[in-house]
Amino acid sequence: MAAAAPALTRSRRPRLGALERRNLRWGLLFISPWLFGFLALSVFPILYTFFLSFTRYSGIRPPVIIGLTNYERIATDPLFWKSAYNTLFYTALAVPIGVLMAMILAVAMNQKLREVGIYRAILYLPSILPVFAISLIFIYLLNPAYGMVNALLGLAGLPSPNWLGDPTYARISLVLIAQLGAGQWALVFLAGLRGIPIELYESAEIDGAGAWTKFRRITLPLMTPVILYDIIIGLSLGLQVFTSAFILTGGGGGRGGGAGPDNALLTYVYYLYKQAFQFGQMGYAAALSVVLFVVSLVLAGAVFRWARGWVFYEAEDA
Amino acid sequence: MTRSARRILWVWLAVAAIVVNACGGAATPSPAQQASASAPASAAASGGSAQPSAITGASCAAGAKEVKFWTSHVPPDSDALKHIVDAFNTANPDTCVKMTIVPGSETDIAKLLTAIRGGAAPDVYMADRFTVPQRAAEGVLDDITSATQGLSSQYLDFAWAETQFEGKTFALPFDTDARALWYNKDLITAAGQDVSALDMTKGPATIDTVVKIADAVSKKDSSGNYDVLGWIPGGPGAGGAAGAFDQGWHYTWGFTFGGTFADLTACKVTPTNPGVVAGFQFLYDWAKNHDPAAVSRWVASNRPVATQPAQQFPFWTGKLAMTISGDWRIAEQAKYAANGHYDFTFIPVAKQGDQSATWAGGWSMALIPNSPSRDQAIKFMKYIAGPDGQRVYTKESTHLPTIKDLLTDTSLYDPQHAKFLDLLKVAKNRPPLSVGAAYWDALTTAQGSVEANTMQPMDALNQVQTSIQPQLTTAGC
Repeated sequence: MAAAAPALTRSRRPRLGALERRNLRWGLLFISPWLFGFLALSVFPILYTFFLSFTRYSGIRPPVIIGLTNYERIATDPLFWKSAYNTLFYTALAVPIGVLMAMILAVAMNQKLREVGIYRAILYLPSILPVFAISLIFIYLLNPAYGMVNALLGLAGLPSPNWLGDPTYARISLVLIAQLGAGQWALVFLAGLRGIPIELYESAEIDGAGAWTKFRRITLPLMTPVILYDIIIGLSLGLQVFTSAFILTGGGGGRGGGAGPDNALLTYVYYLYKQAFQFGQMGYAAALSVVLFVVSLVLAGAVFRWARGWVFYEAEDA
Repeated sequence: MTRSARRILWVWLAVAAIVVNACGGAATPSPAQQASASAPASAAASGGSAQPSAITGASCAAGAKEVKFWTSHVPPDSDALKHIVDAFNTANPDTCVKMTIVPGSETDIAKLLTAIRGGAAPDVYMADRFTVPQRAAEGVLDDITSATQGLSSQYLDFAWAETQFEGKTFALPFDTDARALWYNKDLITAAGQDVSALDMTKGPATIDTVVKIADAVSKKDSSGNYDVLGWIPGGPGAGGAAGAFDQGWHYTWGFTFGGTFADLTACKVTPTNPGVVAGFQFLYDWAKNHDPAAVSRWVASNRPVATQPAQQFPFWTGKLAMTISGDWRIAEQAKYAANGHYDFTFIPVAKQGDQSATWAGGWSMALIPNSPSRDQAIKFMKYIAGPDGQRVYTKESTHLPTIKDLLTDTSLYDPQHAKFLDLLKVAKNRPPLSVGAAYWDALTTAQGSVEANTMQPMDALNQVQTSIQPQLTTAGC
């Protein structure tokens, strides 16, 4: 009986007192603008998208319910598979490289130098440029004959690829452009680095640990929650990559609707956009977004499960 | 009211103010905004509006009824459009047409769709004519049948047919065009080739002849990359994307090899028609013989974006000796390459004695549903797509008119331009389908794969069949 008592206590939800109920009411009222926005601008569109995925809808006339037709079409749509492949290719490269870049930049930003503020500003600067501007500049930087990137590669004696004209290099170009936003993530990583107690490093130094050992045994384990956060958000954003592909292909795919060589820059959301806004197939686009939602959910769940084995939460061992 | 309740009220008021302000731009204009509508265009466009600036209507009279007209055309064609709109505004002081150049292309109307949904749509939209049935099926365009009774007889039959959907009229035909093989005499002669082989009076040259001349012109640099290209019969398009570099589209080569793209009676698309497959096979073989990667590299270097200004087009800069293009190049040549020596001839044929094929496209003027200025908008559409508007556009842009009477008005054509009138007589046109834009894009994707040599023609065209026929069956003919 004595052992059962705490369990009973835990399972019963404590009743709120009068003060707590009042605080809850005021709390909800204070966040009510956000709550309203969340319900009206996030929850409702998500639910409505589910509904639209079972309809034929051009965006103008009322939707007509057509059952599972849109989902059946997805299975046989070659461009669905092409765009899914392009997006997974991008995500599989951009996310891990992004983590690595952010970590390197954060470590660089965390150096004890007098002018570190200047370095931080320089490293962060590309992140504040809009993707639109970066992508547009990259069209010219990556020009195979007249671009600066190939000119530098040529000086180094390296081959000069046809960046945006070759399907594989076009996909890699997207990954490269994404890295210019690494500064944003570096700040998150920097906050994580600065949250690591200095005593841990001092103890390790007393025990004779070198820089690499300190990084591997202290920094990396304590940064794993931040890395996981980066991976989850990066995964979500990676699966939704759009702007850079849209701009690199001339905004809408030029006159013929093609998105890069052999549609190599047709990312999933780009294809979704084309279906919705170029072809007026909102119902089909809704079905595509539902599939993306489910895939994102499954991938995020899988990453969380995988992370159990390597993410170190300080509180757990406290 | 308690202090907390007052705070919450303030928060809600702040949110409401932001929302109302944000929505204000798209909603019905306030009296102040209405007053500014008659002010100069530059002033009306200022103030942080998300709408692009209108390029006409600056000197409209106060109180004139506004008609918003959107086009995705850019100079030099948009210059001609502007002149027509200005003339209309001068002749009709009670109406003020504000013409705006918006992003978009033949099959991309994303800007228009979002504007309609956002309640900020134009009254008149310049739509690629072959997409009209599809846009009508989608509900993007308004039915103008009753307002256009009796007009059909003045237009070319194929152009009028493209504006119809389910027996109703959804646009007025504007211009049309025809395609030919343009060539740079100086480059061909400098390569030691006989340019007279391409003389139009000798009839169409064979594809083999044109490829032989083009290959003699092509030059590679020390790295093995093309510096000058003799010809690209198809694509890739700007930046290396799937599609035609100029006008060597799937339709061009499908028609050249005797193909048909749809059976309208049976309501079926026919991308695997033998003639279409033969056209794609030619593109596949040409790419294979000329190294798709090298050609793509040249395109990415010389035409990195589709929005490249016309004066930088490689045909005018001496980097390309031959290109399949249209009548509008006449106006461009006069403006951007007046000192060069250019001519055009028939699109080459598969074998000697074959009939050369070409096709006619063109645009139209369509009314957007729920226009607050419907009557004025239709009046403007009848003007710009009527004899007055088309006369100016034909003369200035060197496109061709769709009004039959203007085809015989010799004052509109110089001798070069007049040759395109002969081509128009035998021109084919794209089938007016309720999935016309989607079909075009699917064929373009297939063309890209075939020219990259990543798919065989029949496989790529089978994919087109698989993806488009169900859409056509659903939408109907």
